[in-house]
Amino acid sequence: MSRPPLWRLAPWTRAPLLGLRQPAAVIAVLVTSAILACAVASAPLFLSSARSGALQQQLSQRCEEVGRPQTGVDSLLVDEQGRPVDGGDGSTRPEVDARLLQAWADAGLDAEPVLATAAIGSSDASSAGIGVLGPDGEALSQPSTLFQRPAALDHVQVVDRGDGAGVWVPETVAEQDGLSVGDVLSFGDQQAPVVGVYRDLAVANADDRYWCDYRLLFANEASADRAPPAMLLTTDEPTFYRLATAAAGGAVRLQQVPVDASTLSVSGARRLLDTQQRIVDDSGLPPEYDGASPAVAVPNDRLAAVIDRAELIQSGLRGPVVPVAVAGALLALVLVAAAGSFWADRRATEVRLLAARGVGPVPLAGKAALELALPALAGAALGWTASRLLIAGLGPADDLDPAATTAAAWAGVAAFVVGLGAASVVAGLRARSTAERPLGAAARWPSRVPWELLLLAAAAVCWVLLQSREAIVSVGYVAQVNGLLVAFPLLAIAGTAVLLGRGVTALLPRLRRWAGRRSPAVFLAVNRLTAARLATGTLLVAVTLPVAVLGYTATLTASSQTTLDAKVGVQIGAAAAATTVTRIEPTPEVVAAGTYLLRYDGSAAEGAAADSTARGRPDVQVLAVDPTDFAGTAFWDDSFADASLPELMAALQGPEVDGRLPVVAAGLSPGDPGLRLGSAEVPAQVVAEARVLPGRRTADPVVLVAADRLPQIERSAGAARSAELWVREDLSGAVDALARSGAMNIRTLDPAGVQERANFLGITWTFGYLSALAVFVGVIAVGGLLLYLEARSRTRVSGYVMARRLGLTRGAHLRSLGVELAGVAVVGSVLGGVLAAGAVALVYRRLDVDLLRPPTPLLDVPWSALAGSVVVVLVVAGLAALYAQRAADRADPASVLREDA
Amino acid sequence: MSAGGFTGTGLVKRFSRGAEMVTALAGVDLRVDAGELVALVGPSGSGKSTLLALLCGWETADEGRLAYLGPLAGRPPVSLGWPELALVPQALGLVADLSLADNVLLPARLRGTAAAEQARATSLLTDFRVDHLADRYPHQASLGEQQRVAVARALLLRPAVLLADEPTAHQDRGNADRLLDAVAGAARAGAAVLIATHDELAWARADRVLSMRDGTLTDGPPA
Repeated sequence: MSRPPLWRLAPWTRAPLLGLRQPAAVIAVLVTSAILACAVASAPLFLSSARSGALQQQLSQRCEEVGRPQTGVDSLLVDEQGRPVDGGDGSTRPEVDARLLQAWADAGLDAEPVLATAAIGSSDASSAGIGVLGPDGEALSQPSTLFQRPAALDHVQVVDRGDGAGVWVPETVAEQDGLSVGDVLSFGDQQAPVVGVYRDLAVANADDRYWCDYRLLFANEASADRAPPAMLLTTDEPTFYRLATAAAGGAVRLQQVPVDASTLSVSGARRLLDTQQRIVDDSGLPPEYDGASPAVAVPNDRLAAVIDRAELIQSGLRGPVVPVAVAGALLALVLVAAAGSFWADRRATEVRLLAARGVGPVPLAGKAALELALPALAGAALGWTASRLLIAGLGPADDLDPAATTAAAWAGVAAFVVGLGAASVVAGLRARSTAERPLGAAARWPSRVPWELLLLAAAAVCWVLLQSREAIVSVGYVAQVNGLLVAFPLLAIAGTAVLLGRGVTALLPRLRRWAGRRSPAVFLAVNRLTAARLATGTLLVAVTLPVAVLGYTATLTASSQTTLDAKVGVQIGAAAAATTVTRIEPTPEVVAAGTYLLRYDGSAAEGAAADSTARGRPDVQVLAVDPTDFAGTAFWDDSFADASLPELMAALQGPEVDGRLPVVAAGLSPGDPGLRLGSAEVPAQVVAEARVLPGRRTADPVVLVAADRLPQIERSAGAARSAELWVREDLSGAVDALARSGAMNIRTLDPAGVQERANFLGITWTFGYLSALAVFVGVIAVGGLLLYLEARSRTRVSGYVMARRLGLTRGAHLRSLGVELAGVAVVGSVLGGVLAAGAVALVYRRLDVDLLRPPTPLLDVPWSALAGSVVVVLVVAGLAALYAQRAADRADPASVLREDA
Repeated sequence: MSAGGFTGTGLVKRFSRGAEMVTALAGVDLRVDAGELVALVGPSGSGKSTLLALLCGWETADEGRLAYLGPLAGRPPVSLGWPELALVPQALGLVADLSLADNVLLPARLRGTAAAEQARATSLLTDFRVDHLADRYPHQASLGEQQRVAVARALLLRPAVLLADEPTAHQDRGNADRLLDAVAGAARAGAAVLIATHDELAWARADRVLSMRDGTLTDGPPA
């Protein structure tokens, strides 16, 4: 059956088909609807992505076991009377193991049985241990931990090995206690031979992920001044159970579900935890020893903490992200409304006729809605897809919660409805007003009201509120940006940009008079800009806004990163550092590996601290350094002091002041600080000050003193002392050098480790999202530019073909287009740059990502990125000029003038 | 003003309209000499505008030969500047972004002679009674006012050849007479003027009348 003619179709069938006859209007509505949907849908997707990203990033920095849901049994191997439980033959509660494994299988998850067992003498695993007797019947020089885990011996560095069942001992223990393969150790009433010696895990396998979750047992980081228990590795389970039972220890058997943490979302992690909890509840095992049962459940309770932290980061992001998304959506809505106006222009002949015959704005809006519904719907779907792809490609993580995807879909639907409504209403009003407006009538009052003052007033309110609130708050050690800090500059930039746009366009008539004496290209360009002041102003704002927002966000992002790097650098003292509390003599290898220095805990006289109001002697950190090489590796920024670091080092080598050592200090007043290291008095004189000195690990003042002039501080003085080796990059060389010099329990400090503890993901992502907003606004600007060109193409082409006949050359016309568009781009870029600079100047000092650590915020302007943005703006303007010229070139003069008729 | 004039011999122009081929000009012969005002009359769709588009170089003939005379001889129409060949298209072709005064002065401005022609431009605006609208944009003026501005623009540089498509279509009698006076004055000054028109009073002012029907041209007014 053939389709009836178009005019006989029902309106709801006819209108969409009619709409398709205006491809430019269809494309305009489709693209602007897509931008709107993308703006609103991206917020829930981004928040979900950030939540997953926070989860994944935390898990990637931790042992992989942290992300594994698990069940397990932690059981004592002997009862209160010292009798073995379950025979003590290694068959501890096998039925429980099997039941728990089956429970995981029933839940559709494959759990791995992990016999990760540690027989220890007390619940304080890191500092206690079981007593073990050596071959001579004497206790070993340090307590021991008995450890058994499948394939453990494949993850050690073998020093010596024998055959048969028994235990492996660490190299340092073997050296201290004179143990070698074949010696027999006693565990209670049981004995086992030494069948291997391995290099201490802290030295040889510190980075082996296999040992990551058991680091507490050998690294002993929680108690740095005590040597960790000797970790004795058993060759097999029966040996472990035999010896552990004899030593009255305990054992842990786990069922862990391997999880790919790099693709885990929070909702997925929550489901895993729910399953874990259900299985634990069903197991009947008590959560704690209650006397009735010798075994307790061992679920993974660390994953929940990681999830909570991820949700904390997300909630911190919500404050700034939601207003940003709303702002982006409002901008996009303006663009959609402009597309509706464009439709009215394109359908001018028909809508004028309808308006002249009495059709009101409401039916005209209905007609627009019917014609534009399909492209608006397609645009909304496109926008949702774009937001999904953008978040997947550029967001913190691609693993989104289903609820977020659903929320984004609803946001897309809302964008469709609201966008279509706005486009239709504007189209109806525009169509009606075009038809009714008399020739030469003045602009209506709404277009003359400076509505942007409302934005500026809102910005002022945000600024006032911000004065009484922290710009950066830390909740649960997670730094969060106050939403006001985001809203204020955005509102101020948007309001000022519109105000400036209004002011600049008000000057165009004067510019037009000036252009009358210039070349035809300049004359035509300025006249085009002047003739369409509203479009010019809109285009100018559309360029100014993204440049300003991008400049602002890029500068703050770079500044906060630079500040954060500086804070970390100050805390570590250098790019990285290795420390030990062992009293070593620095070997040539140590000295060659980096900057060697000693750190003492000291105190100063009451009132010596520059900003101290507390009574009593303030604590100070004293760094005894070599002034000749300290500056070589120390982290330094010129803002830290009025003098350079070499000048400060020279001051350390200066003469004594009244018999007192010259020292350089941060946080102490000049003069005699009354320095003490423990009980040892150190006569000193602060000869130079710095606002910040590298190596500041606490909030206490820092004092630098030349190591070779510092008197020997005896152990009896009670001054906590550590040796440090600061390096520029290769930390492993420093660790090896310290280890070979006899240092034990070497700790390392690097930026990643420090930043992990101070979680700044929220800040980074907030500014990342703002930068994305700037790019998004840029996309809107490009969309607006195309609409501007398209909307004016008819008059432009018509004027061009006639002007060519009048004598205008193609080159002059192209130059005029270049002057027109590049002029707006340049002015917009300059205005944007000025606005960004103003906003940064107002805000950056308040953007202290960590108030506890110096230095105060540093300013880092990413000139290359900003220059790149301006180049992009100019290139876009140039391409747009070429596009417009090409469209004009293709015009057939006879047809154009016939159409105009 | 350089003396001009043109001849056309056997001009044929066809357009495709979907599958159909329409012959707009079916072998037109004409000649307009310098100092001559010729009226081209005929019903809508008879081919008048197509002939004018051919004469000004916006269309090219499928068959036949078009030649300009005198100093313009040997030059294709598309190469002729505004002082040689001026045009008042039916759609007027005013530049929407320029004021009416700037539209009139634009041909001179593009040649760097704006200052020299300013007085004449003002005079033309006054003669055509649109001087009070000088600073308005085209869309702020009526169609008749725009048309007078288009004629003023065409006359500004005293063209050797003037082609005008319905130059009085939107005018009242008084303004139509003013326009015809100006056009006739241009012819008296030596220009070759061809105006396509339905205005019978314009026929009366013309030195000759050519009638066009279905793409063919005959001497004299239509029967």
